[in-house]
Amino acid sequence: MTGPDFAEIVAPAAWRTVDLLADLHLQADEPATFEAWRGYLETTPADAVFFLGDLFELWVGDDAADSDGFEAECAALLRRAAERRPLFFMHGNRDFLVGAAFAARCGMTLVDDPCVLVFQGERWLLSHGDQLCLDDTDYLDFRERVRSQRWRGDFLARPLMERRALGRSMRTQSEHRKHDPDARWADVDPAAAIVWLTHARARALVHGHTHRPAEHLLDAPGNLRRIVLSDWDAAAAPPRAQRLCLSAAGAQRVDVR
Amino acid sequence: MSNPQVELSIKDHGTITLELDRAKAPKSVENFLAYVKKGHYDNTVFHRVIPGFMVQGGGFEPGMAQKPTAGEIENEANNGLKNDTYTVAMARTSAPHSATAQFFINIANNGFLNHTAPSAQGWGYAVFGKVVGGTDVVDKIKAVKTGRKGFHDDVPLEDVIIEKATILSE
Repeated sequence: MTGPDFAEIVAPAAWRTVDLLADLHLQADEPATFEAWRGYLETTPADAVFFLGDLFELWVGDDAADSDGFEAECAALLRRAAERRPLFFMHGNRDFLVGAAFAARCGMTLVDDPCVLVFQGERWLLSHGDQLCLDDTDYLDFRERVRSQRWRGDFLARPLMERRALGRSMRTQSEHRKHDPDARWADVDPAAAIVWLTHARARALVHGHTHRPAEHLLDAPGNLRRIVLSDWDAAAAPPRAQRLCLSAAGAQRVDVR
Repeated sequence: MSNPQVELSIKDHGTITLELDRAKAPKSVENFLAYVKKGHYDNTVFHRVIPGFMVQGGGFEPGMAQKPTAGEIENEANNGLKNDTYTVAMARTSAPHSATAQFFINIANNGFLNHTAPSAQGWGYAVFGKVVGGTDVVDKIKAVKTGRKGFHDDVPLEDVIIEKATILSE
């Protein structure tokens, strides 16, 4: 087919269930969530797992995993998990610098945002969701800047320690914006979601990013839906750790214990 | 060296004027102008129209017979130009450097089409110009009714025909 289109991942016939997760924001300071994730990787019965962005709270370059530390620990867990079932990694707004090298090291396949999963006769449109929050113009400007080859090259050329420091300060700024009572948080633009779904010939869009788990019926023919994944925080009360399990029967939220 | 301008006369709709960015996309511009000069785009259709996304043409005659093309050209998507609304870009298959004659006009800011990395996944689509006249004609094209024709989806039910492509200035 000639022309721009969304990337497709066609599930092998043998896949019975697929897990979709997003927004775990894994970091050394959140051991409870890390443990929940470790347990999940060891016990999930899914035939494939898709991380739909912000698996990591912060990523400043694949070399962060070269020496002992949190990133290397994550890599080891992922690698072990990938031996049991295929893992797919989509970038989020925090971990967009995860590179091909790290993915290969963990045995994960990088996937585009958005992409279409063709599974059990359904087309599922998968996205982190940040691109569709059209009102969040400041963020979208920022995103355009930091996703450029030039910015990436400049950033990754800096020493690791400097990148870690910069990353921490970028995180702090982001946190301040999130807790600003005057800031309106932007949700996914429904019209944009409908355009993407129509183009993808999919009936459901699954995304994260907003941390507002819900299912939305969209105002368009064809029963188009937007399913938002929960974020993870195993230290919260009540704890949050959830996967969306896709099967021939549809999509089901399953809490991870 | 100023930017070349090409006019597309769209049957029953009007004209679209494209300004091509020779500095940022020299190979794509040269390639496009060559097709214009030999009349390749004359009597081709916009065969793929997806509202909110893009309109694509320059490859098929009315009736969906594919016109023969010249060789594939290098992908120039890493030129910094973005797939913003009313920019024109080269269409291609999933192989990064497979563009020949077909092009598309973005009708939204299609950020996910931009170059992110020189990999199969990240190459993106090469923007080589923009619409500087006749955006209303583009808007009319994007609103036509479409359906399936043979193996092709999103085909206008009534042909949207480029009667003639002319170089206004080179």
